[in-house]
Amino acid sequence: MFSISLRADRLSKTYEAGLLSTGKCIFREVSFEIRSGKTFGLMGSSGEGKSTLGRVVAGLEKATTGSVYYKGTPLTLMKKNEKIAFRRKVQIMFQDPTDAFNPRKKIGHAISEVLALLGVPEARHSSKTEEMLITTGLPKEVLSRYPSQISGGQLQRLALSRILLLDPEYIVLDEPTSALDVSVQAQILHMLKEVQTERNTGYLLISHDEIVIRFMSDSYGVLENGQLKIIE
Amino acid sequence: MSPEAAHIESSCITEACTEEYSEKKREISSLNFKFPGELLFKISGRRKGLKGQLNRGGIFLFVFFLFMALFPSFLAPYAPNERFTPYKEPSWDHFLGTNDIGNDIFSELVYGSRISMTVGFAAALVSTLIGAILGICAGYFRGALDELLMGFTDVVLIIPKIPLIIVLGAYLQPSIWILIPVLGLLSWESTARVTRSKTLQLREAGYVKSARCMGFSSWHIMSTDIFPNLYNVLLPKFMLATASAMISEASLSFLGLSDISMKSWGTMLSFAFFRGGFIRDMWWWYTPPGICITLCIISIALIGFGLETQGKEHVREGADAM
Amino acid sequence: MNVSIVNTLLEVKDLQVFFKGIKTITALSGISFSIAESETLSLVGETGCGKSVAAHAIMRLLPSEARVKGIVKFRGKNLLELSEKEMVEIRGKEIGIIFQNPSLALNPVYSIGHQLAEPLCVHKKEKKEKALFMAAGALKNMGFANTAEYIRYYPSWCSGGMNQRFLIAASTILGPALLIADEPGKGLDRKRVSELETELKKLKFKNKTALLLISHDLSFVQRLADRVAVMYAGEIVEMADSSSIFEEPLHPYSKGLLNSLPEKGFIPIPGFSPSLSNLPSGCRFYPRCSLRKRHCIENHPDLKKINGRAVRCFLYP
Repeated sequence: MFSISLRADRLSKTYEAGLLSTGKCIFREVSFEIRSGKTFGLMGSSGEGKSTLGRVVAGLEKATTGSVYYKGTPLTLMKKNEKIAFRRKVQIMFQDPTDAFNPRKKIGHAISEVLALLGVPEARHSSKTEEMLITTGLPKEVLSRYPSQISGGQLQRLALSRILLLDPEYIVLDEPTSALDVSVQAQILHMLKEVQTERNTGYLLISHDEIVIRFMSDSYGVLENGQLKIIE
Repeated sequence: MSPEAAHIESSCITEACTEEYSEKKREISSLNFKFPGELLFKISGRRKGLKGQLNRGGIFLFVFFLFMALFPSFLAPYAPNERFTPYKEPSWDHFLGTNDIGNDIFSELVYGSRISMTVGFAAALVSTLIGAILGICAGYFRGALDELLMGFTDVVLIIPKIPLIIVLGAYLQPSIWILIPVLGLLSWESTARVTRSKTLQLREAGYVKSARCMGFSSWHIMSTDIFPNLYNVLLPKFMLATASAMISEASLSFLGLSDISMKSWGTMLSFAFFRGGFIRDMWWWYTPPGICITLCIISIALIGFGLETQGKEHVREGADAM
Repeated sequence: MNVSIVNTLLEVKDLQVFFKGIKTITALSGISFSIAESETLSLVGETGCGKSVAAHAIMRLLPSEARVKGIVKFRGKNLLELSEKEMVEIRGKEIGIIFQNPSLALNPVYSIGHQLAEPLCVHKKEKKEKALFMAAGALKNMGFANTAEYIRYYPSWCSGGMNQRFLIAASTILGPALLIADEPGKGLDRKRVSELETELKKLKFKNKTALLLISHDLSFVQRLADRVAVMYAGEIVEMADSSSIFEEPLHPYSKGLLNSLPEKGFIPIPGFSPSLSNLPSGCRFYPRCSLRKRHCIENHPDLKKINGRAVRCFLYP
């Protein structure tokens, strides 16, 4: 059980003092664990470094000290092929759905690109894409649209299902619904829950909204003044 | 999701028009690649000021010169090397008279546009490509490579261009095939800087971050996610680079550092100056190439500025729509 | 409803907005509402339902490709017929507007005092010193203690919450009779939203300013609004007193919207809003409605009045 978790071990992030700025500590000695099939909520008001922590866990940024363990191996000591596996298995979903797709690529293109990356043969792209659209519940027309022609809620669904194509074990959800309307927020949260029960995915849910965190998480922590207080 | 619900959703057509209508509009208009003139026409339509008129004039002139360069035989009455009586004054037969060896000046002018514009566009293409590639690499990879490339850019920035080209032109055989790479290789710095800063900005966009997270290669991200989004920056830069390359070409040709077999407007000026055009006061020989150079550069620069302000306009409009 | 003698301040009649393009987008298809003096009306709905377009249309801030039809009567004057010059007089002076993001709406290169004093100098032709003095007074009213200090501050020196209050002070310094707040709490965290709420409440009760509140945050609306108009796909589907809408919504869409609130457990409405360039011919909500009948697909319902509230649904004859 221990070996398949994604664990953050005493992570700290400080920005070095530069020529014009003084150094700043974003968070210090933060440790938590995400288990598959469970959700760990990360709460805190804006500017507390929640998103930075999320990016560190997803491997997009490096922590100053401490490290992220994936299947027992620290991220910094991974070999190249292990790192590629980690890239696939730990994904991140961002706050702003309008930003999640390249404005100059049609949705269909953006999706088949991911399929090509996974090594799916070209002939099977359309069937795979259709399969994916059924989970999102969107009509086929969206594939020939540009991201700017689709509403935020739909884009967020597409962003999530594009991530799911990679079959990730863990997803870092960086404020997945705070840019959306209440009704769409409800849709996305339900979709996330469905995915979790179906695929046993582990989530790190970052949000400033306590109700969303309580609704979704099995356990959660509050990030305040760079310290993480774990509740439950 | 139940099939029924999916059906309901597919039955409702799903194009969104949100409050960010103008932002969306911008996206749509910048998505479908159009001839820049059409975009400019739109701006000028919206703001019927002096600027709009100028933009429209720029496009009109540019199209005219482009036509001249592409189909010279439509406009020119004679071939450029056909010979008549030298030093003739303007008449119905020879619209702008003839030069020292009896070539028809008007035909020469029309055919000269081809050389001038080829040099301008080719040099701009070279410089924009180099600038874009270096800028994207510097902005995307950051770190040591960024420092190195930008340091190199600074070095190139301080090279005095025209003197260097004169020296090179004196040593190498004068030809436009030397001129194009030299002009291109010496004028990419500002493009590189602008591209780099825009890339730094795009690098933080959600789609670039998620592409990195999904494990796409850097090459893939740079070529399909970043490069297409630089079009708003690169197109005006390209136009302005064209204008400056044409000026450089004209001044070098005037100094006699050009291929005599390929007569550009600058070469014509130079000939008029050294072969008696000025002494005999043949204004119909030396003014038309000068006017053509000026007008052509103005038209290209106007389009370039128009494209630049268009970018800014959208930024402002976006803020308004908030 | 309290039908006392109240003066109507703003009356919007059959306001329509189209965006001409390759496809014509019907952003608003005939909405009507009125706001009495010192009343708070809230327009709620999902992104894309046209609530922001309505605010921009009233202030005549829409881009030129928009076609606006209808009547917007403010104190007897039709705003849509005024010249741009007359409109400038009304904006800020009689109708104030608060935009979404406080850090974007304040100009970072001018001091707070300058930005507060500017409308006074422009609209009331006050001297600079006097205007600054009045600006300091306005800040005092907002509850700032050390006003002489604050007017020399720049927006980047202050926290977002403070900027938010400066922004409200700037929009209300001329004492407008109507304040339009366009998604004021969007993108702010809970603490800041509640600060904002206190400020708006103060305005409402102390200054007697009428408020047109545009928001998708229903709980925020519930605490502030007197009346609520629920919008869907460019039209008003239900309009009633705040309390009756939140306690007993009539329209299926209002019900769905309330059920998707966190307090009710995030029960989503299936499907998505229709495209504004291709609206369904019948009831606009029928593709997502669980109570739909054959009748709803073919006919477009009208906004009908029942017991002092209005609803656009065939369920209520």
